[in-house]
Amino acid sequence: MSLLRQQGPATAAPPSTVRTKGLRAPMTGSGAGRRNGRQSAHTRHQAMGLLLITPFGLLFAAFLVAPLAYAFWLSLRTSTLVGGDHFSWFANYKQTFTDPHFTSGVRRVVVFGLVQIPVMLGLALLGALIIDEVSSKLAKVFRMTLFMPYAVPAVIGALMWGFLYSPTFGPVNSLSHALGTGKVDLLGHSLMLTSLGNIVTWQWTGYNMIVLYAALQGLPREVYEAAKLDGAGQIQTAVRIKIPMISSAMVLTLMFTIIGTLQFFTEPRVLEPTASSVITPDYTPNLYAYNLAFQYSEFNYSAAISFSLGAVVFIGSYLFLFAARKRSGLK
Amino acid sequence: MSSTRRPTSRSVRRTAVAATSAALAGVLLAACGSGGGSGSGTTGSGPVHIKVWAWYPQFKQVVAEFNKTHKDVQVDWVQAGVGQDEYTKLKTALKAGQGAPDVVMLEFQELPTIQLTKGLLDMGKYGANADKGNYVDWAWKQASDGEHVYAIPVDGGPMAMMYRADLFKKYNLKVPTTWAEYKEEAAKLHKADPNAYMTDFGSDETAAGWRQGLTWQAGSRPYTYSASKLPDIGVKLNDDNAKKVYEYWGDLVKNKLVDTQSYATTDFYNGLSTGKYATYIAAGWGPGYLSSVAKKTAGKWRVAPLPQWTAGGNDQGDWGGSSFSVTSQTQHPKEATEVARELFGTSDAAWKIGIDQAYLFPLATPTLNSEYFKDKKYDFFGGQQINKVFVPAANGIGAFDWSPFQDFAYNTDTSEVGKALQGQTAWSAVNDNVQDQITSYAAKQGFKVSK
Repeated sequence: MSLLRQQGPATAAPPSTVRTKGLRAPMTGSGAGRRNGRQSAHTRHQAMGLLLITPFGLLFAAFLVAPLAYAFWLSLRTSTLVGGDHFSWFANYKQTFTDPHFTSGVRRVVVFGLVQIPVMLGLALLGALIIDEVSSKLAKVFRMTLFMPYAVPAVIGALMWGFLYSPTFGPVNSLSHALGTGKVDLLGHSLMLTSLGNIVTWQWTGYNMIVLYAALQGLPREVYEAAKLDGAGQIQTAVRIKIPMISSAMVLTLMFTIIGTLQFFTEPRVLEPTASSVITPDYTPNLYAYNLAFQYSEFNYSAAISFSLGAVVFIGSYLFLFAARKRSGLK
Repeated sequence: MSSTRRPTSRSVRRTAVAATSAALAGVLLAACGSGGGSGSGTTGSGPVHIKVWAWYPQFKQVVAEFNKTHKDVQVDWVQAGVGQDEYTKLKTALKAGQGAPDVVMLEFQELPTIQLTKGLLDMGKYGANADKGNYVDWAWKQASDGEHVYAIPVDGGPMAMMYRADLFKKYNLKVPTTWAEYKEEAAKLHKADPNAYMTDFGSDETAAGWRQGLTWQAGSRPYTYSASKLPDIGVKLNDDNAKKVYEYWGDLVKNKLVDTQSYATTDFYNGLSTGKYATYIAAGWGPGYLSSVAKKTAGKWRVAPLPQWTAGGNDQGDWGGSSFSVTSQTQHPKEATEVARELFGTSDAAWKIGIDQAYLFPLATPTLNSEYFKDKKYDFFGGQQINKVFVPAANGIGAFDWSPFQDFAYNTDTSEVGKALQGQTAWSAVNDNVQDQITSYAAKQGFKVSK
């Protein structure tokens, strides 16, 4: 398919016919009996394969397919506190996309992502390029240190930052106090998204850096040599050679980050008790779905919100992959 | 050496394998066995085990006392989280159709919400109406609906003002008896020490009940609701009394006379124990709470009645307080009702633990009116007989209805208060906005709303 698209039908046709012919040739040439024997071996292989994936298949069906199907079924019903519940087709979905709580949450995570993702991936890329270039002990220490936050469970990390942000105990506030700049409320309305972004960046930069670093390590060294001979400096090599060559890894990290951002939940959930007048129950779409189900007992609507969010994530990532198809290697 | 060690390690491994598989089998069996209800009962002879979720302080001793005095029924206690954490688990278990305990501790405001989802057993069918005369009238009314009894009251939260006597003396403050005086003293204090505040305005969700209690005192009765009159509900969150309260606190916040830290945070506890807050507007369970989060300030606090809106008035409000309900998933309704009625009930032994160690405010009239409770001196309050303040406060509390969507109401209120704090909306608009959102929510949920 990719060949067809790139070279056009006229040039692509001959090799593809050659390939099919080549494949078919021994089949037609061989006797009927031999072909049957091969087929039965094939079915036996298939049966064996099916048997081997059964444990996975069962778990997959029980813990992914069945809950999804149940949630979807829930989302097609409407239940109210007084009216009881009834089948309502897509009424919940219709409500979702006109629900200001949901749309404002989506808008919030999109705004959050527009700022936080470039900052984080920029830092990750910079870090990866540096540790790829410098191969001293210090680079190893640097790599470990940046990666360490990823090993801290997200809940613990958020709790820890909650203390650091504290207006009474937090170092930031002591610092601003000492400088005489007055009270900085890191858990207040104006700075909350920044504070959350900081936590996420702290947690995930190292992880993304390692992914990019691994991609850089996989590049052939001769290219650098050639670049050097052509007179490229380190920065030029990084910008013109390394970054374009790891673009598929960058697309991958960006993709995962976008999905993670749209599903933003843990950090706001953990900070919610400390600042519940700022982190409202509808702060992010996922938090809203959680609160609908487990605080307001609106399981049906919550299921619809979850599927709608899933749709937003799916469309968002598809659009992104489509836009980045040339860079991603997923043509 | 090595030859003797080898069999040992192998047998250890074997035992470990056996233990693991036994544990796994146990889990599987338990999972199969608990199909309906809590699965905590036994079929043959022996006592019936009733699973209880509660978070009362020092509750272990109360349970031990119950188990000691009862032969046929035994209590298995689980601490399943405080307040909202427990309710989340309970609601999930009720929805799932299994996993709920037999008896559960619920705050009064949560009762209609859980009752509406058919999560509570009507204990009236199992003789609970006999207890009616044992409890304070307003509490019994909140726990029941006519002859239907959905909860047995335990402790209450009549509101009062706790204050730091040492700080009041240091800054020469007068103990305020009206809210106007309270504001004057707040200004005086903040002027004398810019780092000190008269109190902390509860702006978060855990303080939603605090704000409700204050509007309760001012005479606001936001809901008219009875499960037997469904789908009717009256919602009036924006009457003049409620507005008066929000504008008053909004004014204090704007003038920076009070702090706006979330309740139930370490920053808040720190403020209580370092003298950042000179008063703490709290409830009947407050002494226990305060003495555990601000231990080092023992002896410095005193209790005074809640400031009044009109001089010489006697208007009171309530914040929190709790009860025992039996869930609809129980397989032993009779025994579970017995547990709910008798864990505290009017048991002197249980209440001695409740009063002396957990600092609970009893809603059982024999205990509440006992000389022991009324005259008890509290060391944390410098030997003050604080119940001489709390008991009259409890007697001044009138009837009050909660909505069957109280979590939504509290969250909406918290969000709107947050907007006002940020300056996005005027404080005078908070109540109207809350009213709009809650009435439209209620209508959507199928209620017939009268405003």
